[in-house]
Amino acid sequence: MAKEMTLSGCAAAAQAVKMAKVDVICSFPIRPYTATMMELSKMVANGELDAEFVHGEGEHAQLSVVYGASAAGARTFTGSSGVGVTYAFETYSPISGGRLPVQMMIADRALDPPGDFGSEHTDAMSARDQGWLMGWSENPQEAFDNHLINYRIGEDSRVMLPQFVCQDGYFVSHIPGKVQLPDQAQVDEFLPPYRPGAHVLDPRKPVSHGPQIRPDQGAIMDLQRAEAFLAVPQVIREVVDSFNRIFGRNYDPFLDQFMTEDADMVFFMQGGHAATARHAVRHLRQKGVKVGLVKLRFVRPFPTQEVAELLSKFKAVGVIETSTSYGGSMSGGNLLAEVRASLYDVPKRPLTTSFMAGLGGDVIPLHEFYWMAEVLTKALKAGKVGKNVYWAGFEQAEA
Amino acid sequence: MAVQVKTQTLPLFKKLRQMPKEEQYVPGHRTCAGCGPALQYRLVTKAAGPNTILLGPTGCMYVANASYLCTPYQVPWIHTQITNGGAAASGIEAAYQVMIRKGKYQGELPNVIVMAGDGGSTDIGLQAMSALMYRGHDALFVCYDNESYANTGIQTSPTTPYGGNTTFTPPGKAIPEGKKLFPKDPPQLVIGGHPAVKYVATASVAYPVDLMNKVRKALNVKGPTFLHIHAPCPKGWKFDESKTIEMARLAVETGMWSIYEWEDGEYKYQYRPKEFKPVKEYMKHQKRFAHLTEEHIAKMQAFIDAKVKAPGVPVKIPVPGPRQED
Amino acid sequence: MFNIPKGREVPFGCVTPAPVGEQPMMITGNWREYRPVIDEEKCNLCGNCVVFCPDACWQFNEADDAVVWNAKYCKGCLICVNECSHDALSKAYELDFPDGVVRLEKPF
Repeated sequence: MAKEMTLSGCAAAAQAVKMAKVDVICSFPIRPYTATMMELSKMVANGELDAEFVHGEGEHAQLSVVYGASAAGARTFTGSSGVGVTYAFETYSPISGGRLPVQMMIADRALDPPGDFGSEHTDAMSARDQGWLMGWSENPQEAFDNHLINYRIGEDSRVMLPQFVCQDGYFVSHIPGKVQLPDQAQVDEFLPPYRPGAHVLDPRKPVSHGPQIRPDQGAIMDLQRAEAFLAVPQVIREVVDSFNRIFGRNYDPFLDQFMTEDADMVFFMQGGHAATARHAVRHLRQKGVKVGLVKLRFVRPFPTQEVAELLSKFKAVGVIETSTSYGGSMSGGNLLAEVRASLYDVPKRPLTTSFMAGLGGDVIPLHEFYWMAEVLTKALKAGKVGKNVYWAGFEQAEA
Repeated sequence: MAVQVKTQTLPLFKKLRQMPKEEQYVPGHRTCAGCGPALQYRLVTKAAGPNTILLGPTGCMYVANASYLCTPYQVPWIHTQITNGGAAASGIEAAYQVMIRKGKYQGELPNVIVMAGDGGSTDIGLQAMSALMYRGHDALFVCYDNESYANTGIQTSPTTPYGGNTTFTPPGKAIPEGKKLFPKDPPQLVIGGHPAVKYVATASVAYPVDLMNKVRKALNVKGPTFLHIHAPCPKGWKFDESKTIEMARLAVETGMWSIYEWEDGEYKYQYRPKEFKPVKEYMKHQKRFAHLTEEHIAKMQAFIDAKVKAPGVPVKIPVPGPRQED
Repeated sequence: MFNIPKGREVPFGCVTPAPVGEQPMMITGNWREYRPVIDEEKCNLCGNCVVFCPDACWQFNEADDAVVWNAKYCKGCLICVNECSHDALSKAYELDFPDGVVRLEKPF
């Protein structure tokens, strides 16, 4: 029978990894994801989870250990935060190009300098080109669910890709929430054992994994992964559908909507600050502002078509940027450019702008959401946005 | 019910004619003619046999063997970054331990062998190598030592000898010896600092039966082991490609390379000359030393004289560091 | 969905089958300028040529009463000639042989 527990995002992730019967785990401590590994080590020590718990010598090593283990045919789990994520960077492409469905939890954390323990999505987002799936969980329940969902998607033979399963550091990783835990039979029904392909290291069927290729084959190597990514959305749909059925949830595969039915404008965002956004949206609605929330569940693959179809229904979109992209086309974060690109071919496009918020560990307080709604309202009246990027809380004058 | 993990025991042999006939490193690879590392690869894998998984950190023994889309490894092999041979090997070993335990794989634990160059063992790969040794995985870490980062065109590594001309240590007016630094001692890095390690040995392509038996001894140990294999490089050291074995032999005869085992805390030496030939006898054949003066060679001799007193054991080496007054 | 030109294909995950016995995608016999030649009268089957060849191009035959040379892969490094314990091996110019392989400008 399913039971309900109050768990932090870290603990919820550990529960999911345990129920997924992971074979090899590689740890290394860094705040704020460390608690997940502490939980897992207890489970292994108690005999609750039969897995090899390898104490990695650093984040680069963590990813290297699971690279080898996954190539040998094991279901693997590792994780990190902040500069640990960027230290391991060298390994991301070999893992995705080698088609190894490794799973990495990222409890995001602001990058050094100077070592701020607060949440920011830049650490994980900086790896978004490396050929991994990537998406954020809003709360511990979603964290639990998304770890299981990602194993199934990643290990699907049409996909065979690694996954970054992300959650906001502290806000999700440490603040407890209610989590419905299924029973093992449900998880076993949803997530069969990992069945690796022919590319596994097995002395009975020897292969050479990763010989050099000629420069005129390099593009084809890239194309392989590009093609795999084209297959991913359909697999996401199937898997989320199956998950909803077995576990009684109601997730949309790509975009979570809140009070969007007759909205003029929406906040568009990913991650834990969506929890605050929901409150803000309700309060604003009470004041007669026709605002809604659209929350992105996967940033890779980015659901271009779904974003275009949905956002074109609104008159204005305020993209909330929880990561930075210095010198980028929008001179702000990463999501506005992706949103605008998705909307490019839509005949009637909404006004779009972005708000840098929730960076470096900042909360996004309710009044900032109210201010963003005012900015969007003014833009609608003027028929155009004032500028592409607003640094919420730091703008000198009103928009 | 957890399945017990069983490992194979490979028998040692005395005579060359008793070595296994089957090749696990087959003809058809783009290594240089006369390549020392290629030869040690062939001998290591021959001794290890078919129940083996190889890891190839980037280096000559990756790039030259794996171009293009083909390799000479008859057993399963995987490329790793130059940084992480030890870590990826740990993952493969851990995976097989748990898969056998859970009944997902039926068979004996495969040999897991990292084939790392001197850079991938003692420099950029040092951290991962040490962690493998510390964590006690049942795997063999082979450092094939061609005394440079050879694959990228011969650059200095921590095992390049003092005075070695490489493209990062060229001799010139300001630095007449080219390379001022004396090399790391890889087995010493492992011995004594890693409690789970019970067997460390050095070997040379010039003594193939000894090499192959040490591979088997190391693989028979249930835990991490380290082999340091001298593998002369005709291209990097600049000597005629037919003389690879001769160079390896001269290294031992002059003390530039020592052959020994460290097993459960005890040292045993093999092929120890009663009298050492002067290092000049070795260095004169290799154009990488051609720029050195008598003064430089004397420094090398002093270093080697101290080292051969007790190979593998720390001794007071009479050479100044680069910041000390001469 | 895409048109991959012939000869430029890359297998899934860049994983290729392991070779068996030899790797015919990297034939190196056309590298050599000299080939080793054996005087079987002098050969005492010491096995040096067999053990010291980086390319495994000397092997004992089935009956173990002779050593056999691999013309397809021998790079002509001449380690075997240098290490032969009984002067049974000597070097000869490759193109002096009717089946001599012309050394190509590029080895592959």
